[in-house]
Amino acid sequence: MRPVPCGTGSPARETMAAKTDRAKASAILSPITRVLTVLVAALREIFDESAYERFLARSEVTSSPAAYNDFLREGETAKARRPRCC
Amino acid sequence: MNLFSPQYSPDPCYLMPKVLRVLLWTAISLLGAFALATVALHRGEQINAMWLVVAAVATYAVGYRFYSSFIAAKVLAIDPLRATPAERLDNGRDFVPTNKWVVFGHHFAAIAGPGPLVGPVLAAQFGYLPGTLWIIAGAVLGGCVQDFVILLFSVRRDGKSMTEMAKTEIGKLGGFVSYVAVISIIIILLGAVALVVVNALKSSPWGTFTIAMTMPIAVLMGLYLRRIRPGKVLEASVLGFVLVLAAIFGGQWVSQSPSWAAVFTLSGATLAVLLIIYGFAASVLPVWLLLAPRDYLSTFVKLGTIALLAIGIVVLRPSLHMPPLTRFIDGTGPVFAGTVFPFAFITIACGAVSGFHSLISSGTTPKLIRHEPETRMVGYGGMLAESMVAVMAMIAASVLQPGVYFAVNSSAGLVGQAPETAAATITAWGFPVTAAEMASLAHAVGEQTLFNRTGGAPAFAVGMANIFSNSLGGQAVMALWYHFAIMFEALFILTVLDAGTRVGRFMLQDALGYIWKPLGRTSWYPSILITSGLMVAAWGYFLWQGVKDPLGGINSLWPLFGICNQLLATVALCVATTIIIKMGRARYVLVTLIPLGWLVAVTFTASYHKVLNANPRIGFLAHARQLANAGADTRLIFNDRLDAAVAGVLVVLVAVVLIESALEWTRVLSGRKAAEVREAPFVMTRLALEEQP
Repeated sequence: MRPVPCGTGSPARETMAAKTDRAKASAILSPITRVLTVLVAALREIFDESAYERFLARSEVTSSPAAYNDFLREGETAKARRPRCC
Repeated sequence: MNLFSPQYSPDPCYLMPKVLRVLLWTAISLLGAFALATVALHRGEQINAMWLVVAAVATYAVGYRFYSSFIAAKVLAIDPLRATPAERLDNGRDFVPTNKWVVFGHHFAAIAGPGPLVGPVLAAQFGYLPGTLWIIAGAVLGGCVQDFVILLFSVRRDGKSMTEMAKTEIGKLGGFVSYVAVISIIIILLGAVALVVVNALKSSPWGTFTIAMTMPIAVLMGLYLRRIRPGKVLEASVLGFVLVLAAIFGGQWVSQSPSWAAVFTLSGATLAVLLIIYGFAASVLPVWLLLAPRDYLSTFVKLGTIALLAIGIVVLRPSLHMPPLTRFIDGTGPVFAGTVFPFAFITIACGAVSGFHSLISSGTTPKLIRHEPETRMVGYGGMLAESMVAVMAMIAASVLQPGVYFAVNSSAGLVGQAPETAAATITAWGFPVTAAEMASLAHAVGEQTLFNRTGGAPAFAVGMANIFSNSLGGQAVMALWYHFAIMFEALFILTVLDAGTRVGRFMLQDALGYIWKPLGRTSWYPSILITSGLMVAAWGYFLWQGVKDPLGGINSLWPLFGICNQLLATVALCVATTIIIKMGRARYVLVTLIPLGWLVAVTFTASYHKVLNANPRIGFLAHARQLANAGADTRLIFNDRLDAAVAGVLVVLVAVVLIESALEWTRVLSGRKAAEVREAPFVMTRLALEEQP
């Protein structure tokens, strides 16, 4: 909470002001956060991090070199068959 | 409003009052029309690159907002209530319902390769106008339509591939021709792009060292991912990128050290052999060791550099020195021979219309789509983004002085080996350049020479270095920018090479499995070695012929690749047209029939010229005759005849598909055959209802 100088108003009014400030800040940040969230999600999908997480959840194992090995083995053929355009 | 809801409109003006929306879109349309008119009609003084950007962005916006929504609503009758295969067959592996922005990024990363950078740079020999107009119009009316409709049709058929759809919708012959077209395009594409790398790296110790370093860096990334931080791909890619930047700095030192520079100064032939060995090794080594980490690294650099180039062009707003039209529209161009029609339209395939995209749109992408309406943004929108990359490449080539552009892109066989002779020839064409000017530019970018660096990559790199060095670091760091651009292009060309060799290998194994079953077993090592060897030998042969070609190789290989790519697009549009007719939407068939007709005109005319034109610089057979009369090496004569045979056979096969498709349309339209749509049965979506705000 921001420091409040003396004589600026009652505690209730100060709380209201702080709430309004927070609401304004989140209104500004919300679209930016949303864009960043989607951007990170896209990068994680492109770089197969999400696929690995899904694999861990599906196999009910935790991340380890052995689990990553299994993940790579499972997706090897699909990855190698994925065309890359010109 | 929920961003991920199917009801969410991608149009940010959705919530505006109607009057404001009409006013806004009228303003965007007028701005686009004015910018296009300026680009098309401006003569004399230099034009600012922003005119091209504004013309493209405004046209794309109008095309996306109106044309793609018309196609979605009227032609395809997209149904938001229909469950996609990602929802119905969700297995957390191949079929995964994924957020549309994530699928968009995934799709864009798969379709954007070296093509939209190299093609426009080569086509800039006609001036910036023909290529720019084709990129914009071709994408909005052709390429985006193809990607969108094929994606939707694949979604409605449980993610079936293009070749499978061709087989079920047109007939067995359609499937066979698609298969042949795909394998041919992969072979010729790999030969052509490998030649681009060879021409960019020959006699360049700095560039060769940097690219050589990317291989141990990729292996290091693979080991890091497997042993140290399993699955942390973004982290490993950032690490790899930092190491690649260190390699670019190290390359400068290598190029200045007499002993190390000698080690990394390689001829075209040596580089070709090394690339062939690399392609074979990458195909037979485990995916995790080389292919996967290189793919990650290349994607990371690609996305970053494209964003950087876009920001650079918008912030710096460079002027174009290339005229809108050059004298070479008459077909006498030094970069490649042939008149503006049809050759501008096959030189720029990726960025306008690319048949290869139909493979991506019917590959991984349809298995990730969560709601049918999202195919519009991913298919149509993804291609618009690639088209924008092509416009940026055109700008990068056109900011160069035309004399410099032609000096870099003309082969020694045409302008002469000696710098003074080459400069005099190019100046005589009306594009002044001096040997001293070229020597100074070569010195600034850390190269021994920039003459005869055909292939498009060096010209693009000089253009990009030119744009960035004007503000970020000045002339002092021009060499670093140049080598960064060369690394960026070569890196993802090598990724296309190793991924393409593997994809081709699997296709060959699938086909050979019909002849002898063990050959179809993808994990049987003798089969892997044989099919990898066959694939590498096939594209390696085209690469070798390009390296040995006295006209520089690109003159024959790039048009051949363009023809193959556009012929594949012709097959894809035949499939799309057939399905539209069978859906009972024949009144909207012009949506695919117009681009199909245009591509038939372009590819068939180009093939005719490449095979039968009497000018030896254009026609393969005329060139073979000229070589035979001069008593040249028989291998060179054979190469020309082989190129002619490839173009001829492909055109005949695609003509057969066209005829078969036309017969199928007639049968369905006349009622002689029932219009049978082979879609997966309708299942009501649960996801759309669950995601209601």
